[in-house]
Amino acid sequence: MSTTIGRRAATDSPAPAKKQKQGQGGSIDRQRRKLLMPFVGPAFIFYTVLFIVPAIGAAWISLHVWAGSGPMKFVGLQNYARVFKDDLFLKSFGNTLLLLFVVGAAIFILAFAMTLVLRDMAGKKMVRNVIFFPHLINALVFGVLAGFIFNPGGMVNTLLKPLGITEPPAWLAQENIFPLIMATLVATTTGYFTTILMAGVDRIPPYFYEDCALAGATAFQRLRYVILPLTWDVFGTCAVLWTISSIKIFEIIWVFGGSSGAGIPPTQSWTTAVYTYVTAFSGQSTPAYGAATASAIISLALVSVLVVLLRRAMRRDAVEF
Amino acid sequence: MSTLTAPTTKTPPEPAKPAKPRARNHRGVSPALRAENNVIRSIGVFVLWAVVVISIAMLAWMVLQAFRDTRAILSDPWGMPATFDFSNFVRAWTVSDFATATFNSVVTTGISSFLTVAIAAPAAYYLSRVESRLTGGLSLYFILGLGIPAQVILIPLFIMLNEVNLTDSLIGLNLVYIAMSMPFTVFLLTAFFRSLPLEMEEAAALDGASALRTFVQITLPLAKGGILTAFVLQVVAHWNETLLALTLIQSTEKYTLPVALISFVQQQTYSGADWGGLFAGLCIVVLPMLIIYVWLGRRLTEGLTLGMGK
Repeated sequence: MSTTIGRRAATDSPAPAKKQKQGQGGSIDRQRRKLLMPFVGPAFIFYTVLFIVPAIGAAWISLHVWAGSGPMKFVGLQNYARVFKDDLFLKSFGNTLLLLFVVGAAIFILAFAMTLVLRDMAGKKMVRNVIFFPHLINALVFGVLAGFIFNPGGMVNTLLKPLGITEPPAWLAQENIFPLIMATLVATTTGYFTTILMAGVDRIPPYFYEDCALAGATAFQRLRYVILPLTWDVFGTCAVLWTISSIKIFEIIWVFGGSSGAGIPPTQSWTTAVYTYVTAFSGQSTPAYGAATASAIISLALVSVLVVLLRRAMRRDAVEF
Repeated sequence: MSTLTAPTTKTPPEPAKPAKPRARNHRGVSPALRAENNVIRSIGVFVLWAVVVISIAMLAWMVLQAFRDTRAILSDPWGMPATFDFSNFVRAWTVSDFATATFNSVVTTGISSFLTVAIAAPAAYYLSRVESRLTGGLSLYFILGLGIPAQVILIPLFIMLNEVNLTDSLIGLNLVYIAMSMPFTVFLLTAFFRSLPLEMEEAAALDGASALRTFVQITLPLAKGGILTAFVLQVVAHWNETLLALTLIQSTEKYTLPVALISFVQQQTYSGADWGGLFAGLCIVVLPMLIIYVWLGRRLTEGLTLGMGK
């Protein structure tokens, strides 16, 4: 400590008042700058070595035919061509898009509707706390529970029986699993996005609503001219968040199928994440690392394009208030 | 429908306390804010409360089923446990090795979350305080990782860790978790440090404290709240992480909870359904999150929503 004081005292004394202040800020700044290595270094190294390098490695591997051991054969973009001819991948990719857009749209409509109701409802804190909680639970749990609730002797069917439905649909039949997964995801994710939207809506100062009341605006006008414009940026953030997280969906699909039988989920419900995992690690066929990473890179490309588009589209008017 | 009458029963206390009517109004429901009570709204309110009730009932139901044996669960999924029979938990804990998995999960989650925050906090501090083209670029570089899904790095990571014998190792898993959490934690903490007032740091610097000391003695204590939030968010994330653990860990004694749960589900295909044990396993996964949520819920929601709103 004493050295820094001494040094500053030395620079201070000859300098005129104005310069003194500059020198002061500069010295703190200079000192801070020296901390670049010790402060940012560890984070930078961890992140680069175990995250960015693998990501670049994935792009490299996707250009090769490789079974994990032995020689890598460079094939250029053939893996991508191969993957796009693979029915399994097309199915997985289609499912990922379904999750992204259909489930996403459902979540947003529901979350926004819930936000509007919640905004001025008694007991909103409690409701908000309860609907947020599923976000903290591993999606595996929902997969397992849904498997139980919908199994032939499960809760849904015992509920339907008194209603006269003695032959309920085979919920967990392979062709029904994916719609069921989509429904489960909507049910378990909506709460999280409602909470985020709520945070945005709550930031709107009350006097805007009071203004609306004075001006005699209808509920729809208030929604159109106050609430929507002022929460537009939050919508954008939510859309980006959903895009990123929907691409990663894996666990729930893995056990949704697992609970109904075989170790690997039925191909009808695969997503690109499942496709990548199975192609590389299932142990049932020779691992095709090239195709697996190609599929992952395609999902990364999808995320990047969508995020860029979303940012472009949502940028239009970030209203300051 | 009784829920709809709740607002009217709640209002009487208001005139009873004329001392500070303002404070009450500011909590949200001022007359101008209140929507007109039309039918659609009533339905909405009803549906919301129904969602709340069903969610809580589901959770309670899951915990209760864990106390019943499989045959009772299957014959009547709506039944209640006759006695609090802990045998499912005991069996899951001992026979199915959830004990080891829980231990592994607790250790991995604790260590990796702590180290994540310990490594990310100084970096975030630097990025929030020093403004130059370099820090701008670095911030962008960290944020970039937010958009990279885990399945992209899965295979190269497996190969790299295999080279240095860190697959099937909890140390390797910890390292991966730390690296993977950097983007979000740095992002969150940078935003948080930016929100702290600069005056105290300047005062400390005027008093001759070095930049390092200013950080340790002034900024860190001020930032306790944000750092705790970041830590808890990482605990939640690492406790639930599945895909990487499933890929990187192979031997049973190193399974983390989600992997153990998956293997338990898949064993059922061969050994017959053990729903009792499964529900016990689900409880072991869910209940710690519930405890954390009840304890630190406000921090979690704020951390996950406030940072996003800005």
